Amino acid sequence: MGDLSFVLQILVSGLGVGCVYGLIGIGFCVIYNASGIVNFAQGAFVMLGGMITHALLQRAGLPLPLAAAISIVLVAALGVVVERVVVRPLWNRQATMFVMILATLAAQIVIERLTLIVAGDQPRTLPVFTDLPPIRIGTIAIGYQFLWIVGGSLTIVTLLALFFRMTNTGKAMRACAINREAASLLGIPVSRMLALSFALSAALGAIAGILITPTQYTAFNVGVPFAISGFIAAIVGGFGRPFGAFLGGLMLGLVQAIAVVSLGAGLKNVAALSVLLVFLFFRPSGLLGTSK
Amino acid sequence: MANPEPILKATGLSARYGHVEALKSVDMHVEEAELVAVLGPNGAGKSTLLRAIMGLVETGGTVHFRGKALPRHDTVAVASQGIILVPEGRGIFGPMSVAENLQLGAYRLQGGKGEYERRQARVFELFPRLKERLSQVAGSMSGGEQQMLAIGRALMADPKILLLDEPSLGLAPRVMTEILEKLRVLNEQGLPIVLVEQKAPLALKLARRAYLLSLGRIVAAIDPREVQSHDELARYYFA
Repeated sequence: MGDLSFVLQILVSGLGVGCVYGLIGIGFCVIYNASGIVNFAQGAFVMLGGMITHALLQRAGLPLPLAAAISIVLVAALGVVVERVVVRPLWNRQATMFVMILATLAAQIVIERLTLIVAGDQPRTLPVFTDLPPIRIGTIAIGYQFLWIVGGSLTIVTLLALFFRMTNTGKAMRACAINREAASLLGIPVSRMLALSFALSAALGAIAGILITPTQYTAFNVGVPFAISGFIAAIVGGFGRPFGAFLGGLMLGLVQAIAVVSLGAGLKNVAALSVLLVFLFFRPSGLLGTSK
Repeated sequence: MANPEPILKATGLSARYGHVEALKSVDMHVEEAELVAVLGPNGAGKSTLLRAIMGLVETGGTVHFRGKALPRHDTVAVASQGIILVPEGRGIFGPMSVAENLQLGAYRLQGGKGEYERRQARVFELFPRLKERLSQVAGSMSGGEQQMLAIGRALMADPKILLLDEPSLGLAPRVMTEILEKLRVLNEQGLPIVLVEQKAPLALKLARRAYLLSLGRIVAAIDPREVQSHDELARYYFA
């Protein structure tokens, strides 16, 4: 009996982390769909979400909701800057996809190092959003931050689905993903859609970073591991499928949690990469199949 | 006979893919309410001519629309002026519904709901089948219906001139005739049309004038009334 509740407890924490991986994975999909680019600066947005919120909270003394909101807006703006400064000039010169993907990796490194210079190498954390003792269901404890993560992620996923289905801009972004040339022939501003996809994706990364930081910590170098997990989530879900990426994230979080318990913490990344390999070997189109 | 100012006028228009020059200094024009056919064998540069007008390929020369030079390499800006191309292969958004495809056609519509409904009514009048299929996934329709959707979607953009790249491609003869008939109706309503076709006899039935392209050059301007038989057309092709 004790074993079962232990396993359930592990699964709960795996789901929480999985939601965050899922949000990051959706970020990959949004940019990929708009442009075909795999944006490896995605991890930097996750890191900055936590770091900027921390700075606003501690240095400027802002309340947490305001600090988080400003942080999300700033990171979204940075997403547009990355698009305009790093991706756009290459795009206009008709650089190959490979070059643009490498450029995003370079942007990741630059942002990471600038953060190190400005903020130092000390890890930071954020207070939990609701400071109450965990809810107990039988022998399982569910922390309020877990509820924030799951509730927040599901809300975001729902809002995104509504945005892509119901709004003109959302539909235009989907149209660009399906056939960019045909979209431009109808006068849909494809380049603005690309900038918007970077803003959206960066905001998703920042939200993921803000949600997860109270349960872990954040520092200048947390971006890459998160980006890798989100990338795996996106591949597992079928690259380019936002909902699939979210499912992929949940699955990845669960597998990692189980691996940590049964095989030891050192094998957490082995488990994650094994999931990736299993999918690449046996189901390269992912859970839901690729979008193209 | 010719109006003083054509609605569309290409001067010295050339286009290249990498080092290959696909279009070599083409001069052509379209007058108000005119249906102009562009004919020629496969690889003559017909599609490239339309793509060059839209700024989809690297080009030289100029294109004037209503007397003003069009921007080059900015397809969105060209389309925003009301020059709408129905591309080869139709370019419909397959995973989206028919209704969503039509909505995207009217993406740049500034006016309110009334104007949207006016445009939609015009599309439904022309292609009643689209109205029945509004909620259907566009990619699941037949080729002919997809072509109707592609044209309908272009009409939702309220084109000032409509360019069509091989609308008959892959369609059964009966469907092809039906679609060409709709183009004739649109043209009679005053819409200038440039029709690129490999099947010359069909296009010549509709067109007031035709250009014959070969190896990236215009080799003949044809008056359809003078082409009475296939033999005469063949003479143009092989002259």
